[in-house]
Amino acid sequence: MGLNIEVHGLKLAYDAQPVLQDTNFNVDRGDLVALLGANGAGKSTLLRCISRILKPSAGHILLDGRELKLFDSKEAARKMAVVPQETAADFDFTVEDIVMMGRFPYLSRFQKEDQSDRDIVRRSMEMTGVAHLAERSITALSGGEKQRVIMARAVCQQPEALLLDEPTANLDIGYQSMFLELAARLNREQKVTVVAAIHDINLAVHHFNRFVLLAGGRVMAAGRAEEVITPENIRKSYGVPASTYRHPLNGALQVSVARGRVPDENNIQGKAVHVIGGGEESLPVLELLNQQGCKLSVGPVSTQDSGCRFAHFHSLPVVIVPPFTSMNGAHREEHLQLMRGSDLVVVPPIPFGEGNLPIFEEVEAVLEEGKPVYIIDLAGVEKRDYSGKALQLLDNLVQKGAVVLERSGDLTAVVRPDGGAGDERL
Amino acid sequence: MREVKTSELKQCNKRSEDEAGAKKKLFMAGLIVLLLFSAVSAMVLGAVSIGWRSVLIILFDTSPVSLSFAGVEVLEVHEDILLQIRLPRVLLAAAVGSSLAVSGAVFQGLFRNPMADPYVIGISSGAALGAVFAMLSGFSLAVGGFGAVPLFAFGGGIITIMLVYSMARVGRAVPVMTLLLAGIAVSAFLSALVSLLTYFAGEKLHMVVFWMMGGLGGATWHQVRVMVPYALVGYICVSIFSRELNAMLLGEETASNLGVNTERVKKIMLAGSSLLVAAAVSTSGIIGFVGLVVPHFVRLVAGPDHRFLLPASALLGAVLLIATDTLARVIIAPSELPVGIITALIGAPMFVYLLKKRKKLRYFGGGG
Repeated sequence: MGLNIEVHGLKLAYDAQPVLQDTNFNVDRGDLVALLGANGAGKSTLLRCISRILKPSAGHILLDGRELKLFDSKEAARKMAVVPQETAADFDFTVEDIVMMGRFPYLSRFQKEDQSDRDIVRRSMEMTGVAHLAERSITALSGGEKQRVIMARAVCQQPEALLLDEPTANLDIGYQSMFLELAARLNREQKVTVVAAIHDINLAVHHFNRFVLLAGGRVMAAGRAEEVITPENIRKSYGVPASTYRHPLNGALQVSVARGRVPDENNIQGKAVHVIGGGEESLPVLELLNQQGCKLSVGPVSTQDSGCRFAHFHSLPVVIVPPFTSMNGAHREEHLQLMRGSDLVVVPPIPFGEGNLPIFEEVEAVLEEGKPVYIIDLAGVEKRDYSGKALQLLDNLVQKGAVVLERSGDLTAVVRPDGGAGDERL
Repeated sequence: MREVKTSELKQCNKRSEDEAGAKKKLFMAGLIVLLLFSAVSAMVLGAVSIGWRSVLIILFDTSPVSLSFAGVEVLEVHEDILLQIRLPRVLLAAAVGSSLAVSGAVFQGLFRNPMADPYVIGISSGAALGAVFAMLSGFSLAVGGFGAVPLFAFGGGIITIMLVYSMARVGRAVPVMTLLLAGIAVSAFLSALVSLLTYFAGEKLHMVVFWMMGGLGGATWHQVRVMVPYALVGYICVSIFSRELNAMLLGEETASNLGVNTERVKKIMLAGSSLLVAAAVSTSGIIGFVGLVVPHFVRLVAGPDHRFLLPASALLGAVLLIATDTLARVIIAPSELPVGIITALIGAPMFVYLLKKRKKLRYFGGGG
């Protein structure tokens, strides 16, 4: 079992618009490959060339070394089964009828389905968990059930390769995982080669072990997740800034698309704002200020902190303290300089512990120098104060003129270039 | 992969198979009984009533088996009426009815469109143009005992389908949607030509209109002998590809992925069903609704599997046309109505009824 698929120099154009341009692509026997790429990158087109729906204008496709054109329809269907994104199910076939159609390539014209075909149908339905639906009409099933029935039919074809064309695009998150796990299981247990065009990179990372990234009809990168799914590749192929990180529970590589800045119509540079500390709690504040076009600086944060990643992603000035160490004089000086260089300082609703209390000394210092300081959600400090001293220190700042804001959303008014407290100074 | 499965599952599997199979067999047996009944009734009823026992005696007289009922004398004139007029007419009605029903089923499946009927891609308009042209030009032509009208009708139908096919072709493929649209466009164009000719028909108007309403009046053995082989060839063509047609119902790409050579299947299906329709139209004019309603009715009872749908539609189509033709003969006997009027009068309300039931019975274009 397992099919080797080679694609050499494939070319195809829709109405003179090239979709595949010299595509070279190789899937080894027993590979479990996710085909990634933006809309229009040629994923579906490539799969449809392999499944013989489209005829490329140039190039070769080889199955186990033999030219695809030499296969007749039934022979090819015994090698490869396809699960598309959606299958028309307008006719009142039962689930069993639909799955039985997977036996078509094995039956000669006047041959009737026999017991062994029925057994294979039954087993395929059990494997995909649709055996209990056997007598139901396909028209009466939900999207998730229907897609598993189509998978059962593909299994019933006993293929050596399974081509999936965005099979999970219409499924809910539960069925998505279940469906891809099924494909992975076929690959594991029966060594079926699986090639799946897939949009959801984060989902793909969990279920596949090889990745091929298409862009503009060419293979841009191929290999393990770490080699293919890089912010640089994502930006080039999907045209959006993205960052990668590890899944908090299982360490799988994940991609997140960053929101671009809202372009300022007058191209006015927003205020320079320094945001104190890091942690996930500071991210909404950072994102909001970023959206407003502010010139941000961050710190002090530790290396693996969310705030640190944010700063790196947007190339912002940041004070970084190595993990498991406390701030030294150099860090404190650096922090002071960042605050002095900004129009205003924001204390986001972060948790406080003995480790970050020394920050307040510098904050107090710039406040005394006349720098506006905004504290967000003073009322909620007690819940996130692990030192027992933060409230007192913050109250002290308020007495010296720091402004308290109820919600981070209130910052919008403060940082607007045409108004807010910062103007008093400019 | 082929290994022994637990016997329990096998049994459960088999039971459901048997149930579905038994239902289909029953339906088929019912259709055969209905066909025989309607055939005999059609031979009994008419301007001259012939007793059913006489009908049976006369029919069996043509075979080596002889049958007799005490006290029933067969009149020679009855024998003539039955064998020379009613029997060929019943057979022709059966052949035309099944041809229309089967081609309707094929077109609905091929186009995945519940509104498709045998005439959807213009065979009827082409045939009508041929027939009307033959009637109006008034030149006489006879090939193998046929007049100009059926010959031109047949030719018109076949040329039209070839035209539509070549118009719809994109490279080496023929997308069914393009085929359907090209068919509708050509059909509209040809219908306009037919109307134009009809406008100038003058004293032949009556003949033209009557032909287009469809009818089996004046059926002869000769017609039966020519019609039946065409119908058989057409039927065999389409029915040996019924498994492929099932797969095509899920869309052409899916069918292709399952190993169906879709372009070849489409060509054969079109050729076979066009032959059926052209043969039917050239013998009986344009009889509506049989080809639309019959396949829907069968699907409703027995599902969309063409391996059953095609033979069952053939039987039901025959029954329906024999029955409506008999009605057409007896309603205003000794005169008769065009059967196309009766099929539409009965077919249209039946179709509306099916549409109303559709939600509950979930058949075509379901989703609910």
